[in-house]
Amino acid sequence: MASQRRRKGESLFIRYLILGTWALFCLAPVLWFLSIGLRPRTEIITPQPIYWPTFSLDAWHMIWSDWPMAKYLRNSVLAIIGSVVIDLVLAIPAAFSLARYEYRGRDDIGFYILSTRMMAPAIVAIPIFFLFRNMGLLDTVWALMLVYAAINLSIVTWIIRSYMIDIPKELEDAARTDGASDLRILWEIIIPAILPGIITAAVIAAIFAINEFLFTLLIASTPNAYTMSVALANFTGGSDGLIYNAIALVAFLAFVPVFLVVVAIQKHLSRGLTMGAVKG
Amino acid sequence: MARIELSGIQKKWGAIWGVRDVNIDIADEELIVFLGPSGCGKTTTMRMIAGLEDPSEGEIRMDGEVMNDVDARDRDVAMVFQGYALYPNMTIYENIRFPLRMRDVPKVDQDRLVREAAAMVELGDLLDRKPGALSGGQRQRAALARAVVRKPQVFLMDEPLSNLDAKLRQAMRIQIKHLQRQLKITTVYVTHDQIEAMTLADRIVIMEGGLIQQIGTPDEIYSDPANTFVAGFIGAPPMNLIEGRMEDGIFTAPSIRVEGLIRNLSGPVTLGIRPEDCHVAGAEAHVEGTVFGVEPTGDMTYLTINAGDALIEVKADRDYRSDLDVPETVAFDPARIAFFDTTSGQRIR
Amino acid sequence: MSDPALTETGAATAPAPTGIRRRRSKRMKTLFPYLLVAPAVIYLLGITLYPGIYAVVQSFYAVKFGPWRPVGFENYANLMGDYQFWGALWNTFVIGSISLTIQCVLALTLAFYAYRDPWVQGWRIIFLIPMLFMPSAVAFIYKLAFLDARVFSDILIRLGLIDGNLSIQSSIWGSRALLILADVWQWTPFLFIIFVAALQGQDEEVEEAARLDGAKWGQIFWNISLPLMRPVIAVALILRGIDITTMFANVFIITKGGPAFGTETISYFIYRTGFKFFNFGYASAASVIMLILTIIIAQLVVKRAFRSGRA
Repeated sequence: MASQRRRKGESLFIRYLILGTWALFCLAPVLWFLSIGLRPRTEIITPQPIYWPTFSLDAWHMIWSDWPMAKYLRNSVLAIIGSVVIDLVLAIPAAFSLARYEYRGRDDIGFYILSTRMMAPAIVAIPIFFLFRNMGLLDTVWALMLVYAAINLSIVTWIIRSYMIDIPKELEDAARTDGASDLRILWEIIIPAILPGIITAAVIAAIFAINEFLFTLLIASTPNAYTMSVALANFTGGSDGLIYNAIALVAFLAFVPVFLVVVAIQKHLSRGLTMGAVKG
Repeated sequence: MARIELSGIQKKWGAIWGVRDVNIDIADEELIVFLGPSGCGKTTTMRMIAGLEDPSEGEIRMDGEVMNDVDARDRDVAMVFQGYALYPNMTIYENIRFPLRMRDVPKVDQDRLVREAAAMVELGDLLDRKPGALSGGQRQRAALARAVVRKPQVFLMDEPLSNLDAKLRQAMRIQIKHLQRQLKITTVYVTHDQIEAMTLADRIVIMEGGLIQQIGTPDEIYSDPANTFVAGFIGAPPMNLIEGRMEDGIFTAPSIRVEGLIRNLSGPVTLGIRPEDCHVAGAEAHVEGTVFGVEPTGDMTYLTINAGDALIEVKADRDYRSDLDVPETVAFDPARIAFFDTTSGQRIR
Repeated sequence: MSDPALTETGAATAPAPTGIRRRRSKRMKTLFPYLLVAPAVIYLLGITLYPGIYAVVQSFYAVKFGPWRPVGFENYANLMGDYQFWGALWNTFVIGSISLTIQCVLALTLAFYAYRDPWVQGWRIIFLIPMLFMPSAVAFIYKLAFLDARVFSDILIRLGLIDGNLSIQSSIWGSRALLILADVWQWTPFLFIIFVAALQGQDEEVEEAARLDGAKWGQIFWNISLPLMRPVIAVALILRGIDITTMFANVFIITKGGPAFGTETISYFIYRTGFKFFNFGYASAASVIMLILTIIIAQLVVKRAFRSGRA
């Protein structure tokens, strides 16, 4: 009995050793990067790395005064919210159709929607670049909005579909005999019942939109339409190279809201990330 | 307040038959029960009446009007589901009001009607709760209130009590019957529980394999089964069915001999006799077997006799006791014997 | 309300209240679900089919600054002989498969240790933090730590493991390793959280039964939990695999494809050909080949995984 207990303690020690190491591995670069954002630029790239820098808010003042940071922020927010709204408007009826009706070609349509998630951005980047150039949308937030919506539409549709499938058929039948039309069933019964799923889908779409890099790089060729993600790559001070403390601060500026919403939807995260294939 | 006619109803999904051929004429204000094992087509038939499923063939008429092309929401039927199907995001009040809202009942009437319906099922003080905060019985009553609130033409109830425990089920059964008599609304009730069927129904429709086996009052179904399926399905324990031969008015099977049957029958035949029409006999016994099981229930004793190839159930006196495997004799009440064709299972009259 | 007898005669003569009940149109009923899904499909076709066709057409032209000049299969023929194109395919495969393998093993190990531990559950969010940074930000973290500020080298020197600064930048495998490290750091949490959810979703009774049968924890994991979560692993790896093979931000920011094109992924190859050298026809031809590969993989692997994943 005693030896068995000791073995249990040992395995517990190994468990926490491994998990603790991993937690350190996750956190150390983040904390170090935070320290980069809060130090003067002269202490970033030095012959010997400086581990205990002077505290400085230089970068904070710089991002607001030397760059149109407010504009980048506004671009990001506008493009992201706009794209999520487009996604929800298109995806909710589509998911409703895929989840609650039986018709010929349904599975193929569903798979087609899913398969657009597999398309590498680079494949369509060139035609879309020309498309937006011809439409005069290059360098605008509108173009970013449309692209983000397209990138996330498959994910949003599939996540919402997975939540809709879980609603018992009886509920829909009851509403139908109670006199509700199909659209009212969607609006009054199904949407309220899967609100957490819809929020999850929206949050995940927003995160992917914040992260998007290649399209943004191509479409936003001037600071006019820069978002945070691409603005980062352009924090250069002429011949001095990258201004890392500004980059670090902007990275955290984008990180904080993402962190907060993810904490809020933690329970649904795994389901959302697998487009509903894993019920968390 | 409608008469429902189903004629030549079929339902097929690809190669799978749901309902093969159903013809029923349901009278106004009648409470009719569809009874059968799972997969017999009873629920599908009900869903076709509701308009939730389209028949592949045949016509559904309500008060003479063909309903096939009318949407469920326009048929003026109310349905009560096995899982209650209460809208989880709405309070009980909103749940009951939902059908009124969908039908554009004036706002001033809505509140009054909701409260009336809730009072009818004694739910008045739970109106502010969400369905999740209610017990099974309370949810069931809320579902009933939602169905009665708009005084529909037809009630459809799909195994509404099967998620409740036995005691509650009996109480709700009485309440449903009372409500139906009070409101005089034509009701179709689907169940696999024969006690529910017997106690509730004006008429019972017994279904199996997508076909109607028998339609009749509970009494007719019980005492006059149309075939071996009905005989073996109804009654707990069901009718004893003994395969044997008939010659010169004498029925014989291993260990069984019944004489003096005035029947113009010969050849293989199945004899049917209900357990309560059998009794432990002295001299004039029809069965000579051994005791296979004795199950006292308090008000009576179930006795099982091993007779040749057959096990015969007997409802014996409450004081009857016996050891197992000892010889015992049983007699049938000759007036209560029914005969069935052994191959087709149909009743021979 | 009405007298039963009246209703019967009413039915017989049938002055039916036809006007009251709306008749639905059969056509509308069959069309309805298509109408619901149509806007999404049209939108996606616009963003995939149109560009797809455009890319196919463009791939048969030489498109530089001037007008398009038809060249037939020349772009494809050139691609077949382009060692940079093949190199990009190879790099994508090498970096992707190594990174994916490491992430999967790590995530499974971590999930195995974490999933029944209430204390770890409460702090799970720590393990997700890397995933919540923008990929471009992560790329800069690693560029700075390993290349520009040489923190990694410095730590190794202080620990006495090496003598001078590492020259990661000039080594192909060093650069690849850096890309892999950044990807592993950021995205192992993705697999971790999915695996934890899958393990928690499994029936605890099965585990308890196995434990009563005398199985050890590790044995239970290998013999029961892991096989049960195979469909989940498949789905998660596919999603991760797609993202890894389309890796762009890290390459763009950290290595620019160097040294000697040793870390140029296929996405970066297309970007460089199209938007740095403005050789759009050639880049489109590469896109079309990628598109075909994607469709094949989608049909063979993804369809099956998602079907079984939800069964």
